[in-house]
Order: sequence, then C-alpha cells, then structure tokens
Amino acid sequence: MEATSKQTRYLFFSGKGGVGKTTMACATAVHFAGQGIRTLIVTTDPASNLADVFEMEIGHRIRPLGLPNLWGMEIDPDKATEEYRERILAPMRAVMPAEVMKVMEEQFRSPCTTEIASFDRFVDFMTEESTDGGGAYDVVIFDTAPTGHTIRLLQLPVDWSKHIEESAKGGGNTCIGPVAAIQENKKKYDEAIRLLGDAARTDFVFVLQPEETSLYETKRSSKELATIGVKNVSLIVNGILPEQVCEHPFFKSRYDMQQGYLGRIAREFPIPTRRMLQRDGEIKGMAGLLHIANDLFSGNGNAPSFRLAPEMESARIGTAKAGDGRTDSNVFETLDSGSLIELFKPVHGKSKAVFFTGKGGVGKTTMACAAAYAAAARGLKTLLLTTDPASHIGQVLNQHVDDTIQSVEGVENLWAVMIDQEKAVLEYKARIIEEAKKKYSQDMLAAVREELESPCTEEMAAFDKFMWYVEQETYDVVIFDTAPTGHTLRLLELPFDYSDQIGLMVTTNASSAGAKSEVQKRFDHIIALMKDPERSVFVFVVYPESTPVVEAYRAMLDLRDAGIGTQLVIANQVLSREYCTNSYFKKRRAMQEKYLAEIKRRFGLPMAIMPLLETEIIGIDMVRRAALSLFGLEREPIKVS
Amino acid sequence: MNADVLIEIFDPPMCCPGGLCGPVIDPALLDLHEAVLKLKTDHGIVVQRYLLQQQGAKFMQNPNVLALLKEHSTGVLPVTTVNGRVVKTREFPTYEELLRYAQQPVASNAK
Repeated sequence: MEATSKQTRYLFFSGKGGVGKTTMACATAVHFAGQGIRTLIVTTDPASNLADVFEMEIGHRIRPLGLPNLWGMEIDPDKATEEYRERILAPMRAVMPAEVMKVMEEQFRSPCTTEIASFDRFVDFMTEESTDGGGAYDVVIFDTAPTGHTIRLLQLPVDWSKHIEESAKGGGNTCIGPVAAIQENKKKYDEAIRLLGDAARTDFVFVLQPEETSLYETKRSSKELATIGVKNVSLIVNGILPEQVCEHPFFKSRYDMQQGYLGRIAREFPIPTRRMLQRDGEIKGMAGLLHIANDLFSGNGNAPSFRLAPEMESARIGTAKAGDGRTDSNVFETLDSGSLIELFKPVHGKSKAVFFTGKGGVGKTTMACAAAYAAAARGLKTLLLTTDPASHIGQVLNQHVDDTIQSVEGVENLWAVMIDQEKAVLEYKARIIEEAKKKYSQDMLAAVREELESPCTEEMAAFDKFMWYVEQETYDVVIFDTAPTGHTLRLLELPFDYSDQIGLMVTTNASSAGAKSEVQKRFDHIIALMKDPERSVFVFVVYPESTPVVEAYRAMLDLRDAGIGTQLVIANQVLSREYCTNSYFKKRRAMQEKYLAEIKRRFGLPMAIMPLLETEIIGIDMVRRAALSLFGLEREPIKVS
Repeated sequence: MNADVLIEIFDPPMCCPGGLCGPVIDPALLDLHEAVLKLKTDHGIVVQRYLLQQQGAKFMQNPNVLALLKEHSTGVLPVTTVNGRVVKTREFPTYEELLRYAQQPVASNAK
C-alpha cells in the first residue's frame, strides 16, 4: 500500500489467533516508520502481545517505540472505561455526595459500558479532528483481536448508529444516553463506517497459515467484512515450511499438505497474497521485525530466507546455557503422562465443566475435541460445546455442528453443540417479548423491542446461554472450547460483574425484589461452580513459544485472582525429537524444549504433550489419534460414582 | 388538564431506562414504562425520566433531589417530582398516581 497522501490511512491486521498477526503488523509498522512515514500501531486485543514483540512496556497511552516515526498503544478495556467514566462524572464531583459518586462509578463497570468504552476509544482513532486520535499520523495500524471479535468491533459502529437512529424515532433513550446527547457519537460512528468502506483510506490484511481451519476462518470473515463494506483486502500466508528442510518423510508429508492449501488459497482468494516462510528460530526484537519487514516489502524476485541472522537467534544449538531447559531428550514427553484424563471424572456423581482456553490458534478446539473424545471413550457421557464465535468444531469433527445438541457420529457417549450468538440473541429477545405480551400494551411492546435492539443485549444473551450449559446436570462432563484468552477471561468475569450490578439494583417493590434475588442466586451459583475444583477444571493450551506461554501465564494469574484454579497445561504441536534430523528442526526443537521447561517452572502444573502429527487433526480418526497421544485410551472405562 | 405540570422521575442507577440490557429485568420498571406510555397516549401527558449517570446534571439542578441524595444516598431513588416538588420517593409512581399528579398539581416550592 502507498502511504504518501496527506490523509491518514488505516491498516487492519486480523486472522485466526496464533497465525502471526502481531508480528506481521509490527513488521509493517517498522517498515513504514523506516520510510519516514509517521506510523501509529494500536492493538485492540485485550490479550495483546505488542509489548512482548517490542520488548518494552507500552500500555494505554500513545508512546514512542524506540524508532523514529513510530508510536504504539494498547487499548486497555479497563482504562478506556475509566476515561469514558471520568468524562461524564468529572463535572458532578464537586456537587454530588461522595456516596452517590461511588454508586455511579460502580455503575460504569457494567459489562455493557466496558464494551462501549473500548469501542469508543477505537473509533477515536478513526476520526481526524481529535488530537489524541489518528489524525496526527500518516498511517494507523490496528493489530486486532482474533477475527470473530474483530468483526464484532467493526460491526459495532453500524449497530450503534442504527440503534441511535431508531431510538430517536421512538423513546429517545439509549443505553449510552439520551439520543439528543449522543448525536455527536452517531456522527463519529458514521464517519468510522464511511472510512472503513473507503478503498483509498482503509486496507485490511488477513494473516493465515496454510491449513484448513485458518483458511475456513479467513473465508468466513472476508464474507462478513464485505457486508461491512471493506473493499481493500489482501492476504499474508505465514508459517510456510521451506522445501529444503523437509527431506524427512514426516515433514515432507506436512510440506505437501501445506502446498495443497497454498494452491487452494491461490484459487479461492483472487486477491493480492504475500507468502512468508517459517524461520529457523524465534522472531524477536527490532532486528527480527526488520528481517520480516524486508521479506514483506522486498517485492517479487527476492528469494525469501528462512534463516535468521545469528544476532536474532535465541535458540541456537550449542549455545544452550546450563539450566535453560534444553535437554535434547524426551524427558518432557514422559514427565506427566498417564492419568490426566482422571481430571475430567465427575466427583460425587456431579457434572464437571472443563474449560479449554489459551491464546488464539494454539489448538484449543482440537485439544477440546481430543479431550471430549477421550472422556467419551472412557465411558463418560460428554458434551462438547464451543463459545467461540469463530469456532471450527464442525471442521475438526467433520460433521455439522449448530446450536442444537446432537450426537457425534461414530463416537459413543459424545454430543456437540455451539452457542450461536445471533440465535441466542433472537431467542433471548423472543422470550422477553413473549413474557411482556402477557401483560403489556402494543405501545409498550414496541418500546421493549426498541430497547432490546441495543447492542448491549447481545452480550447478555450469549452469556445467558453459556450459563445454561454450565448449570446443566445431564452430562458427566461438559467440555467448553472457549474463545481466545482475552475474551474468555471477559466471559468468565461476567458473572462477577453482573452480580455486582445486581447488588446495586434498587428494588422498588416486592416483584422487583423477587426478580433480583432469583437472578442473584443464579449468578452466585455459577460463581461457586467455577471456583469449585470438584466441579470445574481449567486447561490452558499453549505452543512451546514465548508469547503463548507468557499470555497463558498472565491469564492463569488473572483466574487465580478471581479465585479460580488451573489444573492442566497442554503443550501443543511439539516436534517429536526422532523426526528432527536436520539443523532447521533441531533448532526449532531446542527452542521448544526451552519453553517446555519454562512452562513446567512457571505454572507448576501437570503438563500434557501433544506432538505435531504428520497431517492436520481433522476427522474422527485423527481426533482419536490426538486423544491417544494426549491421554492414552487403552485403560479401563472410568466408573461414575 | 393543566398544561403547566412538569412531572419528573429521577431513576435509580441502572443501565438503560427499561433495565432490559442488564442481567435482571425488573418488572417494576416495565410497569412504570407502560404507565408513562399510557399517560402519553390517553392524556397527552409527558413524564420526564432521568438516569443518574447520563443526566446527572438534572439531579444536581433540583435542590430538593440533591438534598435527598445528600442525606440518603441513592437508596432514596427513584424520586418523583411535580413542578420540582418531591411527591414520592423509594418507589415508582403508579399510573393512577401519575394521573392524579397531572390533574391536581401541587403548588411548587422549588423556585
């Protein structure tokens, strides 16, 4: 893209988690800055790795990133909420009693406000006039959260703008204030929508890997992007194995698989595509980013290199220091093998909820499928459920999965279902309208409908559905394949937040007191379930690489703060030592061993190893193999006591 | 009908006027909403409602309301005023009450 015109250009990077979005976004930013183009990189991912890539603290304010013309910022939902709140509350502080101010501050912690605040801050970057916005830069690069949530973020201006417009015709009130007071916001949102659809101003880059799930998600998301009106879309295919290093039949099989997908990508996406080889080590620091940028912007003709220069390498063989965990043995594979499946066994015959979480793209879904298979094979009545709006559970199981529970073909004791956000919203609205019909007038029903159109309802509706599955007692085990870490933590915080909100609710008569105590009881029950290790198990899935480990560790601490324990870590895509016969893969295995040791040391939890297989885990046969690798299946069925 | 009557309801803390986007749907809020709509359709009476975190200024501009907040904090909400004068606290008015306020306005003391 050219970034020479005077008007700010916007560049979005998205894709399934773990495909290298942040690295590509940062390399692009470094490249532009190097060309003398004033560049700001902003991350909207609540579990951002921007700071890890630049190896410096960044945080919720624009700061220079150590290179001329380059600035960065991480939007922190909590801080964004605080700013949003202060803009409104500051004028009242002098007059209002302190106690009232406290209640109002609490009120602003409602989940709905948090979403608006982060979104509002994001839109600020797309409005020229604001001094703290994007107008001061030539290019603003957005490193976004994994696709599902990015699409939601981009749809929000459309939704809010519509909601404000509709409310103006009706009752004149919205969740974010009386219509009269927020015409300003509508203008801002409309401007953001216009910019997103302006081919001269906005580019969208999908980062993907040559594999089924990544391709599927890119296809799905590009369709949704088209409905928002984004026109300039291009691809970066990352993580391509260099042909020269794949002489071993195991890697040759993976190489051939990737080449097949590269062909499909070329056929199915007639848009500009850049290809990026997997490196023989980790990409870290400014030198690593420049190396990638050089490749991204070299144009055709330049043969890309997969070798990192020695000063960029953090995992060179022979330079391993004592105690850094590189064993050159199978010690990690044998450490905690064995009885990990026992973790899923119901205690005292009570249903158990198992949550799989971790950075996007680390294989949560496949690991959740493998675990569900293993549990079912051991005789436990198992439900596999996904809360990820961009889920590909159907891909992995090779059958259609939707919002109705259905049995998984070819596997006894196993059922699968997904929470479909849109359907959940429709059901939720229909239920409320149905209730209201019994009692209220047509005018009132119209008013209720109007208010339910608020984007706030969506989060509540999906959460309502999620709680329903946590509460059920029909299955021995419910395995939750959750959205990437940041959003999962958010989902898990919701009962706490909503519970606080209910606490604040003023009851004005007996019927409202009844409604309040009933819902309060429900939230308390959910919170108690999640905190009880006999009822809930939390599993983190990671790649043995720097950012997934750092992110999972932070998330584990966050959960612990909320009183929720973690029971298991799964290290996925571990290269089997026996296949690593050349220096490229020996280096990568050495890097993985370093992080396997770090996982053991930092988490202090049982760690299951999932080896990289020669093909993707798609279809029941592969799921079975994964289950076998992870948990071993040849033991006696678990008896449910 | 007295066209000069100003009925205002100062709502307790909540996300939106119907409380529909929060975790609890409060039947009392729905009842009030219905009453307000009915007054408008049947009698052309418009009741003003204010949310604390969105229209905080309104709460500060009425000295009676502000005094109540200073004394009892938000527990005193909702507060209903007619021409600035407080007529009901801690509970929402019913349709009949609202109609009565509109038809027999009490003298204002909040000048």
